[in-house]
Order: sequence, then C-alpha cells, then structure tokens
Amino acid sequence: MLKIDDLTLNRDELVGIVGNNGAGKTTLLSLILDLIKTSTGFVQSKDLAVSGSDHWKDYTGSYLNEGFLIPFLTPIEFLEFIGKLHNMNTPDVNRFLNENSHFHADDMTSGKYIRELSAGNKNKVGILAAILSKPEILILDEPFSNLDPGSQLWLKAKLKKLNEEGVTILISSHDLRHVTDICNRILLIDNGLIIKDKNTNTETLGELEEYFAAGSDRSMTD
Amino acid sequence: MKDLLIHQWKEKTRSPFWQKNIWINIVLGIVGLYLILNFLVIGFFADVILKKLLATTDVVEAFARGLFYYLAFDLILRFFVQQIPTLSMQPYLTLPIRKSTLLHYPLMKSIPDFINFLALLLLVPFFIKIICTTKPALFSLNWIITICMLVLTNNFLNFLLKKYFSKHPLSILFLFAIVAVIIYLDMSNIWSCSNYFGSSFLAIAKTPLLVIIPVSIASISYYLGYQFLKLNAYVEDSQTGHRMNPSEFTFLTRFGEAGNLLQTEIKLILRNKRPKSIMLISILFLAYGFMFYRGKNIDNDLILIFTGFFLTSIFAIQYGQFSFSWESSFFDSYMANKISVFDYIQSKYLLFALTSLICFVVTLPYALISYRIGIVNVAMLLYNIGISSVLSLYICTYNTSYIDLGRSQFMNYQGTGVTQFLSVIPIAGFPVGVFLGFKYLGIPQFGVYTLGLIGLVAIVYKNLLITLVSRQFLKRKYKMAMGFRQN
Repeated sequence: MLKIDDLTLNRDELVGIVGNNGAGKTTLLSLILDLIKTSTGFVQSKDLAVSGSDHWKDYTGSYLNEGFLIPFLTPIEFLEFIGKLHNMNTPDVNRFLNENSHFHADDMTSGKYIRELSAGNKNKVGILAAILSKPEILILDEPFSNLDPGSQLWLKAKLKKLNEEGVTILISSHDLRHVTDICNRILLIDNGLIIKDKNTNTETLGELEEYFAAGSDRSMTD
Repeated sequence: MKDLLIHQWKEKTRSPFWQKNIWINIVLGIVGLYLILNFLVIGFFADVILKKLLATTDVVEAFARGLFYYLAFDLILRFFVQQIPTLSMQPYLTLPIRKSTLLHYPLMKSIPDFINFLALLLLVPFFIKIICTTKPALFSLNWIITICMLVLTNNFLNFLLKKYFSKHPLSILFLFAIVAVIIYLDMSNIWSCSNYFGSSFLAIAKTPLLVIIPVSIASISYYLGYQFLKLNAYVEDSQTGHRMNPSEFTFLTRFGEAGNLLQTEIKLILRNKRPKSIMLISILFLAYGFMFYRGKNIDNDLILIFTGFFLTSIFAIQYGQFSFSWESSFFDSYMANKISVFDYIQSKYLLFALTSLICFVVTLPYALISYRIGIVNVAMLLYNIGISSVLSLYICTYNTSYIDLGRSQFMNYQGTGVTQFLSVIPIAGFPVGVFLGFKYLGIPQFGVYTLGLIGLVAIVYKNLLITLVSRQFLKRKYKMAMGFRQN
C-alpha cells in the first residue's frame, strides 16, 4: 500500500529511492511504468497520463526484475529485439555493445540463453537493454544487486555520465553509499509513505545510516 | 525418506494451481474414474474378448501373447503420460542426507503410479477369474510375479527413455518406426514376436526357478534408472547440453514490429519444452484424418466440417488457447517496452494464420480421397484465420495464470482454467451451428460456402477486428499482468 499525495520528479534529476524491504519502492516504480493500476490518483509523464497513452514508452528505459527479460533468447538476440522496437538495426546494437564492453562478460556472447545466466549477468543484460535506446528517462530497481565490484563502479560512473548528458534517472537501492554518491536527490520510503525527500549533501549518508540503525535498534530491543 | 515424502506432499498441496482449480480437479477425477472402470471391465471380460477376437480356446496362451502388445503400448503410454516424480533436488543436495536416499526416492516413488495401478486393474480380474481357479498355485504365483516384474521394468525404463528422448526428440519417430515394423511383422506372421514372447512367458510361469529371469530384468532396469539419476544429479549438469541454432526468420521482418514479435514467439515455441511438445502432438494429430475420412463419413458434411476445422486449426487452437499466458514470465517486459498493443495482437493473429496455413497445406493430400474434403478445408481455413483466431484471442484476454515454459505438456494443466473449457463452445460451436442451419433449410452445401465467405470477410476486415481485441486487451492488461506475476 503506497500513499503519496504528490511527487514530482524534475528533468535532469538523478533520484535514489531507499527503504526497507516491503516499503513500497518497487510498487512506486511499477506505478510509474503503468504495470499496476493506481487505486486512486494518477501518474503523468510529460503531462500525459501513463495509463492513457503509449507515448512515454518512446523515451523511457526501464529494468525492474527478471520479468523484463525474455528467458529463451540469447542476450544478443534480446538486445536486438529491444533495439528493433526503437528502430535500431544490428550494427547499431553492436556499436552499443562495443561502447559498453566493460560492463558485459563473455557470457553475453557465448550463445547461452538468458535463463542460463547467473543473477548478476541477467541484471547486466537488463540494464543494458534499458539504456540501449538512449532514453530520456531511466528507471532501474536495485541495479547494483548481484553485480561484481568492478561492474558496480562502472555502473555508478555510467549513471552519472548519462545524467550529465541530460537523462533523468530514478533508481532504488539498498546500498546507501552508492545512492548518496551519485544521486542528487534521495527519497526515503517507509511503509508506503515518503518519510524524507532531500537533495543530497555531505551529511545525507550519515543521516540515512542513523535512520536505518535506529530502526534495527528498535527491533532488537523489542 | 519420510521427510522427503512430507515435503513432496506439501509441494503438491501447496501449489497455487491445486488450490485454485477445483473444476479441473473434478473433471480429472471423473476422467480417472472412467478409465478405472474401463480397465476393470476389460480385465474382467478379457477371456471372452480374447476368445472372440482370436477364435482360440486357449485363453491363457492368447493372454500371454496379448501381453506383448499391452507392454509395448504401456511403455509408449508411459512415455507420453507418466510424470517422473522428481523432487526438486537442488535444495537437498547440500544437506546431510545420503545421496543414495535422494536417488532411490524418485524411483521408489514411481511405483505406486496411476499407470501401474491401471495395469493391476487389467491383470487382477483376469488372474482371479481364469488363472487362480484353473491353474496350480505355483503356476499362478509365478504368473503374477512375472507380469508385475515386467510392468515394473517398463516403469523404470521410462526414466531412461524420457530423458533420452527429451534430448533427442527426433529419435522418437525412429522408435515409432521400429515398433511399427515389429507389429507389422507380427501381424503378418512373418516373424511373430508376440508368439515368442507368449511362449517364453508361459515357460517361465511353468518352471518355478525361472522366475529369477523377470526379477533380475526388473532389478537391472532399476539399477540402470538409479545410475542414470546419479549421473544427472549434479546441479551444473542440468543446465548444459544444448546450443542455440541461429534460426532467424528474416522473411518475417516485412511485417514490421508485429514480425519482430512473431519472430520472438516462434523462438518461444522452438526453444521451450511445453510449446514444443504441443507442436509435436499437433503433428501427430494431423494423421487423425485417416481415422475420420473413411467410408460413409466422406458423405457426411458435418464430419467433414468438423474434421476440416480440427485439422486446419489444431496447432493454433492447442497453442493459442494459452495466448498471453505463454509470455507470462516476461509479460512486464512487453508492457513497459515500446510495443503497441495493436502490433502485439497482430503478431498473434499472424501466428494463427501462418500455422493454420501450414496445417492446411500438409493435410491437403486428404483431398485425394475426395475433392469435397478439399473444398471444405479451404472454407474452414478461411474461417479459422478470419474468425477462430480473433475469437480465441479475445477470450484469451481472460487468461491470468502463469505458465512455466520449461515443463512438459503431458498431463500438465498449468494455465488451464475455465476459459479453456468455455472457449471451445463459441469457437467450434459456431461453424457447426451455421452448417446445421443451412442443412435444416435443405441446402447444406451453402453452409460450407457461407462459412468460407464469413471467414473471407473477416480477413478483409482484420484490422478492425484486431482493434476490437486490442481495446479488450487494454481493459484487461492489469489483471492479466497481476495474475502472471503470482507464480
């Protein structure tokens, strides 16, 4: 159950959502992507309701979970499939893969089907598919999970760079350090409510750590 | 061992499917009872049947020969229907349970299977009625032990067969060919396999010590099954073995975005176990024409229409009844990506049209039996492409259950709901209704033409119809997506 009165994300922001399991992070992202229906209220993207038009799909890249991957395709076939939806041909996709070659391991080109990949590699395929079409808005749910350290660093730099190039980004994460490192705005969600909505500064990490530590202290003394 | 049994019981009873679908359980229960009754009756009157059929007086000998066919049939039936009781082993492999326990478990568990039960239903009445009462006790004992051992052998062999043929699907046809040749040789008395089988079977039954032979055959098959499971018990092994074929259907790209989606769906069919087995069954079903197009049936328009409907739509209906559910594991991806609903529906329409056309072409030779078959099939093809496809897709927007692509089709009712039962009525009922209407008017031939014409008009207005389905889809998509996520 998510209760948000009003939330506006502005162009060029890099927003991080943090919160405990079950707080409503994924629900919020799913609502924005029109995957679930709002019981009351609405979501608008560029002044158009997402449930009423498909226009937002032209400029929105997203990866929430494995349900966004087609399990019986190879990673290359999957990226080509997504590319074709955005009128990209095979050479375009290959160029994209070369540009981001640090992010994908040999598994991507080995001919394995996506269903046979490890969790981390699946995550990589999903993220690549989300940024493939050069979206204006990028929505990722826990993009750092299951990634090896090198890939996490690469992804942080990539997100920052994309944001500087004008991409509006919304990510959720459990890694407070990563989020405070790259995001310029943080949403803290608990039990379906937005507890904090702040621009990031040097103290944010400390504040968040304090908040979550207090939560675990409470439950330990209970 | 006891804990494993309990866990599997929980897996069964707690699977969301079992809890939700009372109706299917009831239907399955009725079908099961019907089968049980049938086997009981056949078993009880086996002596009478054999006497009439083979015109012999030695029923025991005839039964022994018939047993050869029964066991062959039993093995094939098992291959298609019996599910190997696999406890998903992965979570247990690292626990302190002896590995041999984990391996013996599925083998032992397969013994009280429904199929073995059916075999007993067939054998026990005959045993009591004929063998027990007329033959010496030792012979009777040997007789029943031998048969039970042979049935068990089939049971364990099935483990090997299933795995082997799921890896090499084409060799099934090879096996069928061998069985067909053996049966032919037997029937035409060139090399009577069943005679040899029958007499050796009786020889074993007569000589008490020889009972060792069937017992050891069963033990060997058990051992083979065990070794086989052992080889396949490693986690990593379960994931290797096949490689992708670069099957690109480039000609589909001319259909634009719908072609792109269709290409993906064809890969879905070819690369996943369940849709692939539907495809194989459909191919087998195409031979059904030989059963229907016989004798007086050729003059019966209703049978021609029904068969034509069935033959040209077999795959489209079988596979299409689960439309959208096939994509349940990645439905969100289709919803969040730049895919227009119209193109999505159209890609499925194209799949219907394409597969119906293929079925039509393959079954065209039936027209050699009678030209009227050809005419009816053309009409039914048009009807199926134009109307059945759209109707089926419309009804399928009520599919909300998740389908696991990796599981076998046989005896798999995942994704089956009330929708599947109800959808048959309008889809197959309408053409029959139209035809009967014209027949009532005394001009049955026009019924066939009318169905073809309706189909043709529907094909001309396909964009309008697809738009209607798209609208329905948009209304239903949240419910569908929600259902698909609950796996």
